[in-house]
Amino acid sequence: MGNSPSGCEGACALQRVSSSASVVPTDGARPGAGTSVLGLGAAAGLSACGGGGEGPLTQQVPATSRAASVSPSGTTYTYSAPQLDDEAGKREAARFLLHASLGVNDSDIASVRALGYSDWLTQQFAVAPGISGWDWLELRGYYAITSAKFYEGNTFYPVDNMLWQQLIAAPDPVRRRMALALSEFFVVGMSGLSSRVHWPSFLVAHWWDTLCAHAFGNFRTLLEAVTLHPAMGMYLNADGNQGENPATGRVPDENYAREVMQLFTIGLFDLEQDGSVRNGVQTESYSSGDVSNLARVFTGYRRDERVRGSADRSIPPDVVYNHEYARLPMYITESRRSKLEAKFLGVSVPAGTSASQALKTALDTLFNHPNVGPFFGRQMIQRLVTSNPSPAYIARVAAAFNNNGSGVRGDLAAVWRAVLLDDEARGPLGLVDASFGKLREPMLRFVQWARTFGVTSTAGSWKLGNFGGGLGQGPLRAPSVFNFFRPGYVPPNTAMATSGQVAPEFQIVSEQQVMDYLGAMFAPIRNGFNIASAHLPQTVTGNSTNQTNDIKANYATEIALAHDAPALLDRLDVLLTAGQLRASTRQLILTALATPVVSTTSSDSAKLNRIAAAIFLIMASPDYLVQK
Amino acid sequence: MHYLRPDLLSRRAFLRRSSQLALTGVALPTALNLAAIGEAAAFGATDYKALICVYMGGGSDYANTVVTYDNASYDLYSAVREGGPERTAGGIALARDALTATLLSPDRPLPAGRQYALHPKLTGMASLFHAGDAAVLLNVGPLVVPLTRRDFSSDNRVLYPRPPRLQSHNDQTSIWLSSSPEGSTVGWGGSLADLAQDSNTNAMFTCMSVSGNAVFLSGRDAVPLRVGTSGLAFSGNLTGATMYGSASVKGAFNTLMRQTSVHSIENEYTRVTARSLDAKANIDQALAFAPENTAPFSQFPVTGNSLASQLRVVARLIAARDILGVKRQVFYVSAPGGYDLHDNLISQQSSNLDVLSAGITAFQGAMNQLGIADKVTLFTASEFGRTLTSNGDGSDHGWGNHHFVVGGAVQGRNFYGRPPPVSITNSGAAEDQWHIGAGVLLPSISVDQMAATMALWFGVPAADLPMVMPNIVHFGRSDYPINLRFLG
Repeated sequence: MGNSPSGCEGACALQRVSSSASVVPTDGARPGAGTSVLGLGAAAGLSACGGGGEGPLTQQVPATSRAASVSPSGTTYTYSAPQLDDEAGKREAARFLLHASLGVNDSDIASVRALGYSDWLTQQFAVAPGISGWDWLELRGYYAITSAKFYEGNTFYPVDNMLWQQLIAAPDPVRRRMALALSEFFVVGMSGLSSRVHWPSFLVAHWWDTLCAHAFGNFRTLLEAVTLHPAMGMYLNADGNQGENPATGRVPDENYAREVMQLFTIGLFDLEQDGSVRNGVQTESYSSGDVSNLARVFTGYRRDERVRGSADRSIPPDVVYNHEYARLPMYITESRRSKLEAKFLGVSVPAGTSASQALKTALDTLFNHPNVGPFFGRQMIQRLVTSNPSPAYIARVAAAFNNNGSGVRGDLAAVWRAVLLDDEARGPLGLVDASFGKLREPMLRFVQWARTFGVTSTAGSWKLGNFGGGLGQGPLRAPSVFNFFRPGYVPPNTAMATSGQVAPEFQIVSEQQVMDYLGAMFAPIRNGFNIASAHLPQTVTGNSTNQTNDIKANYATEIALAHDAPALLDRLDVLLTAGQLRASTRQLILTALATPVVSTTSSDSAKLNRIAAAIFLIMASPDYLVQK
Repeated sequence: MHYLRPDLLSRRAFLRRSSQLALTGVALPTALNLAAIGEAAAFGATDYKALICVYMGGGSDYANTVVTYDNASYDLYSAVREGGPERTAGGIALARDALTATLLSPDRPLPAGRQYALHPKLTGMASLFHAGDAAVLLNVGPLVVPLTRRDFSSDNRVLYPRPPRLQSHNDQTSIWLSSSPEGSTVGWGGSLADLAQDSNTNAMFTCMSVSGNAVFLSGRDAVPLRVGTSGLAFSGNLTGATMYGSASVKGAFNTLMRQTSVHSIENEYTRVTARSLDAKANIDQALAFAPENTAPFSQFPVTGNSLASQLRVVARLIAARDILGVKRQVFYVSAPGGYDLHDNLISQQSSNLDVLSAGITAFQGAMNQLGIADKVTLFTASEFGRTLTSNGDGSDHGWGNHHFVVGGAVQGRNFYGRPPPVSITNSGAAEDQWHIGAGVLLPSISVDQMAATMALWFGVPAADLPMVMPNIVHFGRSDYPINLRFLG
């Protein structure tokens, strides 16, 4: 392990371990408070080698092979691959996978260890996308115009099924992971799409497909696709937005103009590249005048329902629109556009400018604003790695956003690399810092369990519906454009509040929700899901005769280990927490698993009980719930 | 009112509140500041009182909620909102005829012949108004100091500070409920609880939310308990003696639920799970005392009305207040539907307000039947009002708004505050002094005044008000009184 070639650094880490006492540093200083242990970056990490021994630690710090490499942004990073030592190497690979993907399995670990982090990402960026959400819905019969009326508003159940399929079964989990992170930045929440929406599942599916399609592309391209997408158009009202009427005082709808600035690009305040407010003073990055002027650019748009269904596609009295509209960008009606000049953020779009040029000016202006890198970058770090990244980490990610190393701004693949390969994400300090990491999102816990244990839907229908309602969070079901939680959310009355840390995911934590999550996971972990009429697209009321155990895990590997509780727990610990169970938790679970006794000759049912108990206790432990 | 008892003066409360003041970042006039922090005190309450915040998320549209009705004002409203001919509906204007059933007849008529009706779906609210159980507060919103339009337009932000980040949803939500933008951790409901919770045997039940997290209910000490519409309902799989057939697994689970950690995020998470387990027995017992299928709880129109579901559990908890050991409580619920109606205003606001009215009406009915109506005050809140102008089929983010206060202690059947003129122009004329353009109302009642009035009723000593609403020190002139006297 650390006695392998990398010399000083690895030895240093070992030295730190050997000198560890039993408490974590009490240093509460966090980025918000102006300093950070984690802000030290690579250079300081190296210099700490000489002084190893200070900073008492609580757990094994895996040393890492540290052939220094250069990231796409030109930043040197150290932790380029899991170390060679088998157990520590597995833990490190699993830790990376849990940041970069939706779950861990044995072959992923092997391939990360063979390729190193960067090459593995390169490989993943090139994996052919699995079936699109749109195509899956068509395949499953959700395009049929039947009495089930999947074309009607308020029928989001097909898209729930589709999203579970996409997250659990897709062959390109890194793309899906990043798309999910993007869906919490460019938010369209199903509940906000009104009942007037036609083909709601296809609309949301294509929105999801759009995020997936651009997940490794360019932010500017994505921003335009987002802006013109009919789902966003209906969500934030650019759809149908019309120019002013001086006679009555009617003015353009400001919703998209405001939120595209506040939430999708530049945020409220001028920022330094490290994410702090510029010059330490809150200077608003736009005014209400910028909003009302920019709103003029987003006028004249309409979702494109000009392609109507033919006669055989309608069931009287309903007129069934062609679902094609849901994958067409909104179109312009010149007469409905604002006739006024629009001046915002220091640029002017003169009256009479073409719609496409006006849009280009607006989106270019937003995209090139210096805030975007740190504003977007910080939130992506928060989604993927840690709630309170150091300013230096944010600045490194912002730099990658600003320039991918080849002079390209907004290269999302470069952003993911910068987020995932940063020393702060990969290095061992995060494992011992008393505040590093983030609360795992409930929907990601479920998806992780499902992917880890090879959950399949025998019928292929994935009829889980709004299972997220039970977990406390479901994909694309944010209650508003402000997502499930805010990047600056501070849980009141906590040590985090006192020390100026944020913990966004706590905004959906409540005394009820913490138990809802556990209650939702308990039975499926052992038994999977019984689904009524799994082969049919429509919802069917469940009864004793039409249910099958359609969606369930495959615990073959675990069954073979079930008699050996320590070995079972070792395996589950790596897969679920990247080996982050602390010794006391591990002992607690081992003791619990000791009764009843399970031997090689025990029934599969007894073995399953032990496996389920081990998984459930891990997933209920704070060690797991906070990803580090 | 339950003013302080000298024997309960609390040094601890004093220290809490003074550190809170320091955090607000608002410069207080020195004399008031000293007066305020000199005698901060917890109060010992012997009777029961509760405040309920009904939050209308998204920014509710004032102009179609409390609708200007007299012909002159209505015609201005209709013209701006693109109403139809002959005072019919059109654009986002409601027909005047549709408003006659909900025309409000206050005990004290408004000046200059101004009249208001409620949205046609607010028939229940209109009945509460006429029964004297509800009042309307005109043009309420966050203010740091009293502002005229001229003050607002001034570049002098030292003399005329504005609430920060106007028209931003998340920030104005936070400012409404906590006086500070997003990131704030102390709300005024929580501050009230800080002062009051010493009156409660079990402080855990002082602040309760049936709608997840809201900064409103967090104090320096007070921690909200966040329950569901059935209280704390756990899956039976979590409450049995065994898990997966093993008692030892259940034992380990119980340990994990209360495991402390040196890691700040981990530790906070298990504080929540531990609190959940700690609260459950009491909540179960309380709700068993007030079953949902018995009157008056069975009368809540919960089908398709999540506000009614939330208010039903609030009513049940209030009925069981002695079991919970509480004398003072603050609740938070949210009105469903989404009020950010840039689009589809006419149809969506109609269904939203239908639900709102039915939920609140049922709640007030329940309080009457429980004989506790004069001890329970409910109020509406929303991050901002909206523009008077139309964008075609909706309105945009605004500022001042009209709100309701409901309860037996409310001096109802009245308006409080000044009816804002109906205008969207930007002249120096009188009719343009109470909006800042587009009919975005410049508030003439601050949220601090509204809250202070309720805080005084709740039992907070006048000298302690700045601990609850830091900006109240800037109010008190005859046109911006600290006590609006809508509670008696």
